[in-house]
Amino acid sequence: MNRAAIRRIPALVAAITITAVPGDAVAQAGNGEDGPFLIRGATVVTVSGPRMANTDVLIRDGMIAEIGQNVQAAGVLEFDATGMFVYPGMMNGYTSIGLSDIGSVQTMNLTSELGDFNPNNRALVALNVETQMIPVTRANGVTHVVTAPSGGVMPGQAAVINLEGWTWEDLAVSPSAAFVINYPSTGGGGGRGGFGGRGGAGGGERAAEAINELKNLLRTAQAYDAMRSGEEGEFNLKLESMRPLVRGETLALVSANSREQIEGAMMLADSFGLKVAVLGGNEAWKVRNELARRNVPVVLGSIQSTPSGTAPYDAIYAQPGILRRAGVKIAFSTGGTSSARHLPYNAALSVAYDLDPDDALRALTLWPAEIFGIADQVGSIEVGKKANLFIADGDPLDVRTHMLEVFIDGKRIPHDDRHFQLYEKWNGRPVRR
Amino acid sequence: MRRAPLRSLLGSFAAGAALLVPALAGAQDIAIRNATIQTITNGVIENGTIVVRDGRIAAIGQNVQIPAGMQVIDGEGMYVMPGMIDAHSHMAIEGGINEGSESVTPEVKIQPTPDDLTIYRALAGGVTSANLMHGSANTIGGQSAIVKMRWGSTLDEMWFEGAERIVKFALGENVTRASSSQSDADRRYPKSRMGVEQLLRWWFSEAQKYQAEWQAYEANRRRDANALPPREDLRLQALVDIMNGEIKVHAHSYRADEILMLMRVAEDFDFRIHTFQHVLEGYKVADEMAEHGAHASTFAEMWGYKVEANDAIPYNMAIMADRGVVVSVNSDSGERVRRLYQEAAMGMKYGDMAEVEALKMVTLNPAIQLGVDDQVGSLEVGKEADITIFNGHPFAPASRVQKTLVDGRVLFDRDQAMTLEKLIQRAVTTTTEDAS
Repeated sequence: MNRAAIRRIPALVAAITITAVPGDAVAQAGNGEDGPFLIRGATVVTVSGPRMANTDVLIRDGMIAEIGQNVQAAGVLEFDATGMFVYPGMMNGYTSIGLSDIGSVQTMNLTSELGDFNPNNRALVALNVETQMIPVTRANGVTHVVTAPSGGVMPGQAAVINLEGWTWEDLAVSPSAAFVINYPSTGGGGGRGGFGGRGGAGGGERAAEAINELKNLLRTAQAYDAMRSGEEGEFNLKLESMRPLVRGETLALVSANSREQIEGAMMLADSFGLKVAVLGGNEAWKVRNELARRNVPVVLGSIQSTPSGTAPYDAIYAQPGILRRAGVKIAFSTGGTSSARHLPYNAALSVAYDLDPDDALRALTLWPAEIFGIADQVGSIEVGKKANLFIADGDPLDVRTHMLEVFIDGKRIPHDDRHFQLYEKWNGRPVRR
Repeated sequence: MRRAPLRSLLGSFAAGAALLVPALAGAQDIAIRNATIQTITNGVIENGTIVVRDGRIAAIGQNVQIPAGMQVIDGEGMYVMPGMIDAHSHMAIEGGINEGSESVTPEVKIQPTPDDLTIYRALAGGVTSANLMHGSANTIGGQSAIVKMRWGSTLDEMWFEGAERIVKFALGENVTRASSSQSDADRRYPKSRMGVEQLLRWWFSEAQKYQAEWQAYEANRRRDANALPPREDLRLQALVDIMNGEIKVHAHSYRADEILMLMRVAEDFDFRIHTFQHVLEGYKVADEMAEHGAHASTFAEMWGYKVEANDAIPYNMAIMADRGVVVSVNSDSGERVRRLYQEAAMGMKYGDMAEVEALKMVTLNPAIQLGVDDQVGSLEVGKEADITIFNGHPFAPASRVQKTLVDGRVLFDRDQAMTLEKLIQRAVTTTTEDAS
């Protein structure tokens, strides 16, 4: 398994050398390479604790097995990461990876179902593990993502998936991590997301009807849950799926951008006992104290977007810092697929507009894990957590930084994404003279 | 002259912003001192000074005297670079961007409007000029408006004097899908890449005939004072101007086959494609582009949004530049124009471009592509003082634009601008006052 020439950036990668290899063949799962692996002498940015200089990280059986100095382990593939950094894998809080691919091809984008209420639909079971988006995204250190259905009011259940594995069952970190709710917009500011199709003349009325439908469905689901807990009533596919939602066990990821929509999301928490996170949240700054008081986090929409209406030019860039200073927990997301890899540059724009850089890193790793209830598995460099991490030659928020090695579920990810392959092929085209 | 009516929302914003921005007729004499100055063409000057007189750079260097009484910006901790240039934009355009009725319309011209908020936001991202292009619905679309981001100016003051005349060509999916919802009998020709090539050849053949008619007439007129001129045709005349190099072609393109095709068609009619736009597979035919003399203006990382964008790779910029193509990175968007510097940095990540080469992709190279590199694109004595001031290195994650100057006028200043933090502070103050 001597894979010496693995490098996208030869000059930099030379710094990481394989100093020992196991004697026998290495098992494969997905196309990631099984460990054990030992990363030597890196600056380890744990996120959950302090930065640790000149530190080793041992990856064994898919987990972070040991962190420390002079870690001893036999039969491991060793990386000399002197001068390099180890970060927890980044988590993208909202994408449609696996559900959609080339944007303009309708049949490659079956992300939404007929009808406004499909809470029983599950993103996980429709994921195409072979999508080209997975290798391209993970190559930049984004190791796990939320992938979500769209359309209507309740399009279904989002999953958190690792970007590595043979089947969607392999990929699942949290199969039903959240119920997506697109809070209907009756008009007003904010603009993006959340039932935009009902805008325009009469849109307010239809949206008000949709809000009533949503409330009625939640009440029905609550009643159904009580009935079924008493072992009464008939099984109902849709209502059965909603039981963990109305019990407040599974997250309600409520797409809401205008103040009015965000207040609606908080109403769902107050009146129905849902465990709510706001998705998008363009105008979250207007209700930041109310969000903080309720511990309602915000999964921010892409920071690479424009403010709506006449909002200040820096409204999108500056909001994450303002929410943090009010005590609101945040996570970054990109939406979509093809730009999901550049998640950290969304955070970078916020740091330029006064978000604390350590908070930015938390909002890329530990906080999304906490929001989606998987912080016991991922989100930081700690012994006993899944080895979702990467080695970089600098700050991941800096566009100039190269991600040198990526590990997911303890497996080393090959440098096999389509973009790198096309680069190697065409960069190697003999010069035409 | 037709003036665009101010829409009410933008109008009120523009009125508010006008209070924050110095009047356009204000001082054009200004100095920046004690800054890190990225000249692009002559290295980086630490602790440098720039003196601007009458909107042009009068002096630049470490040992430059600032004339007494001149307005001075303290550049301590700041990174000063040429104002960025967006070689592909559809902002600030009055009415539609596509004359979609026919596939060949080089006689139409883009009509800019000075009151689009995107101009202000572009300034806030350090962009000082842009190529406002026709859309991509037509094989041969209309002519660009090349403008400076003179926020607060009138329409007449927007034009970038000295810029090339530019016409938009387009290939591939966009031009062939026009009227695709209709039956074949009702569709606009062409609907295939093959048809696009033949349409180009047909029109340029017609233009050659038209040119020959006029040449014959001009020759006749000397012998016969009563000779009748041919019928004047603005469309064919524009095509003649393209063949004569008076109008430069900027061609929307994706796939390698169509890029190569267009160069060969142009060569057969003895003209050149000046700049390929998007050109996401330019990396596959970079040698041919360099040989032809074509430039490239591309996206840094966009891909996968349609089939013809599926082989787009972020290494495109580096490969093309490495093989001798002048490469710029453009926005084509009211969003990316706010952070073109972040896009340019991708050149260093993907393919290891040198820092100054990456910076050229948003300064000198787009200036070359718009024919204004003798006026802007680098910080040199005699050039127009379009300058962006960052609070740190533009590629560093914590950096943002602090001030943007056009012709020496400070048209964006973060210290003066309305920001979200200020809006919140003001709301808090107002509430407190109301309570008291």
